[in-house]
Amino acid sequence: MERLSSRQAFDEYVAREQARWESLWNGDQWVVSVGISECSIAKGAEETYRHLSLILAQEGIPHVLRRVGCAGWCFAEPYVEVRVPGAPPIVYAQITTERVPELVHALRQGNLKPEWALGVRGEQGFDGIPPLHAHPFLAKQRRLLFADAGVIDPESISDYIARGGYQALRKALFEMTPEEVVAEVKAANLRGRGGAGFPAGIKWESGRRTQAWPKYVVVNSHEGEFNVYKDRRLLESNPHLVLEGLIIGCYALETPYGYNYIGGEHALALKRFQHAVEEAYALGLLGDNILGTGFSCHVRVRTGGGAYICGEGSALMYAIMGYRGQPRTKPPRSVEEGLWKRPTVLNNTETFANVPGIIRNGGKWYASIGPENSPGTKLVTMQGPLVRLGVAEIEMGLSLRELIFDVYGGMREGYRFKGIQMGGVSSGPLREDELDVGVDFDSLDKAGVMLGSGGFVVFDDRICAVDFARFLVAFSRYESCAKCNPCRLGNPALLEILDRIRYGEGRPEDIDLIKETSKHIIELSLCGLGQVAPMPALGMLRAFPEEFEAHIREKRCPAGVCPIGEPAELAAASAD
Amino acid sequence: MESQTSKSQAIDLAPLRAVLEEKFRPRDSQEAQELIVMACQEAQALYGWVPPEAAQCIADHLGTTINRVYGLLTFYADFRTTPPGEHFLWLCGGAACYVMGAPKLIELLREQYQLTDHGVSPDGKLTLHIFNGCLGVCDLAPVIQVDHHHYWGHLTPEKLRDALETLRADGVAEEQTHGATE
Repeated sequence: MERLSSRQAFDEYVAREQARWESLWNGDQWVVSVGISECSIAKGAEETYRHLSLILAQEGIPHVLRRVGCAGWCFAEPYVEVRVPGAPPIVYAQITTERVPELVHALRQGNLKPEWALGVRGEQGFDGIPPLHAHPFLAKQRRLLFADAGVIDPESISDYIARGGYQALRKALFEMTPEEVVAEVKAANLRGRGGAGFPAGIKWESGRRTQAWPKYVVVNSHEGEFNVYKDRRLLESNPHLVLEGLIIGCYALETPYGYNYIGGEHALALKRFQHAVEEAYALGLLGDNILGTGFSCHVRVRTGGGAYICGEGSALMYAIMGYRGQPRTKPPRSVEEGLWKRPTVLNNTETFANVPGIIRNGGKWYASIGPENSPGTKLVTMQGPLVRLGVAEIEMGLSLRELIFDVYGGMREGYRFKGIQMGGVSSGPLREDELDVGVDFDSLDKAGVMLGSGGFVVFDDRICAVDFARFLVAFSRYESCAKCNPCRLGNPALLEILDRIRYGEGRPEDIDLIKETSKHIIELSLCGLGQVAPMPALGMLRAFPEEFEAHIREKRCPAGVCPIGEPAELAAASAD
Repeated sequence: MESQTSKSQAIDLAPLRAVLEEKFRPRDSQEAQELIVMACQEAQALYGWVPPEAAQCIADHLGTTINRVYGLLTFYADFRTTPPGEHFLWLCGGAACYVMGAPKLIELLREQYQLTDHGVSPDGKLTLHIFNGCLGVCDLAPVIQVDHHHYWGHLTPEKLRDALETLRADGVAEEQTHGATE
């Protein structure tokens, strides 16, 4: 790969790669793509890939075998997409290694195996197989960030460029000033996708305003919140989309220093993003004097060591600097004094992934998607005993009920919906009668819950609200950095109250005690972790008060989960 | 608390030194500080834990103190400062796994294998980390990742016990993980 050093060289490269891409899909060979990502590897995708490689060679079938990323349909993994000459690409679901021979032989004989097909990749169906976008999982999605997930090889910068990648960077570098870039992001009203929902454009503007150098732009890919894996999948399926957003961010802040802080446990996401950075350097889209513009950009990847609190902005910066990740009070805000005490703009992976689209199509285009105050699309991950599981990308504002029962298929056979936990550990649940609310920042805030980073957990009636509340508060209690008293002492106290209730030693005044303790923790904690840690307890109390009453007054756990009636080794339980 | 394994071998620092020489070449003290956690992660990957000798080696290479290194090792949950057992069980502690039955698995591990979080079983064969986070394979809930490679998904206490017995007999149990949802 030669280093591109001018706009013209870049344009010529784009043309060459587009031609290559065209000929790939229009030639006489089979094009076989296997989705390889953390989720599919766990289900045997690597074995499927190896078996395909063997069989295609053995049968002498002219082919190109590709590795692509996760397309979000985890329920269909391991998945294989096959394009045989004369037909459009078709995605096949649950192709474990055992099924490979049958699939290959069937396709060879002109049998498109409709019973195994998830759908046709294209506008229309083919030969009786419906198009992918008609599948109930995909019908209500709007895939902007995930448009190329599962289509391109995430370890190929040339695939990304063939599909229009780095056109936004080109536009920013050659046709826009840094101020204009910030203006577009502001016009888009892109709100932070890490959970806080703070307008990114305003943050970038504040970063520009501070007169101190160097400045830093940091991608928050820590993703320590459980049941949220959208950032991982983005980095595994289309790392260049995030990288392009980061480079544009560096251009907007007029700094050459970009960072991506990735959770240490996200092994594949790390590997693929590192690879993307190396490819970008090799091609000349990172480094000094990019495409001859005089703008330089260098990206460093740093990894987390397993501390949820390091997803918090100020803690993250301490973590990068090699300290224990403990948040600090603000002011000064990080845009004034952040990493190494310099102005730092920190945004979530998904936020940066939205930037190239905004630059290409304009802020106004983006702002027109979804509700006015919460525009754009959102990657969501929903789990629990549902028919379909995976990552979905929806337009902000889609009804939660539709998301659960249409996109994710509703409850599995034998499970009865009880509630849906919202916002990870930062919020409370919604009951079945409260699901007619739009999935966006403001509608959910009004409903008393939180969008957060888009992780939802559906639970059925075998789950006890008190026990679940205890589990969620325990998460925050253990992830507390221990710096401030309200959080360090308040959360274990709250946990003790919940444990007493679980063991049948609840008292009538405990309900008020929970509310009062929670109020103190929320109002007095230094950072976001403490400020939301008690929310699951308050939320469960609000949504399922009868269950708490049953535990306290009748010494009974309706779901049959809590150790009520067992000898109360409370001190041990709460210390565990 | 944790039980120490009886074997205490001298740690061979050569592989760690090789990695540090090759991949950890900070240009200034700022970059050196940024690399401490990642150097510890290299040591953890090599040895399964970060022995004091490795911590000192890292501190020397990056121009900091062993105290600074230990400050990080004791804060970040991924690191072990005591030797692990033979096999590494990474149990997912996320809410999806909770909702699909992880508590019963944790109870089984505690009561029948004397395994608690970060602990090693008395026979030294099993190490357990209950990950206070999410392994990101929620459709396999409840799930355990074994030896950084294999996944045991859709576990029940019975399936877990069978898989563990196979593992302790020095086999590797490849549990079914293929689509049970549709």
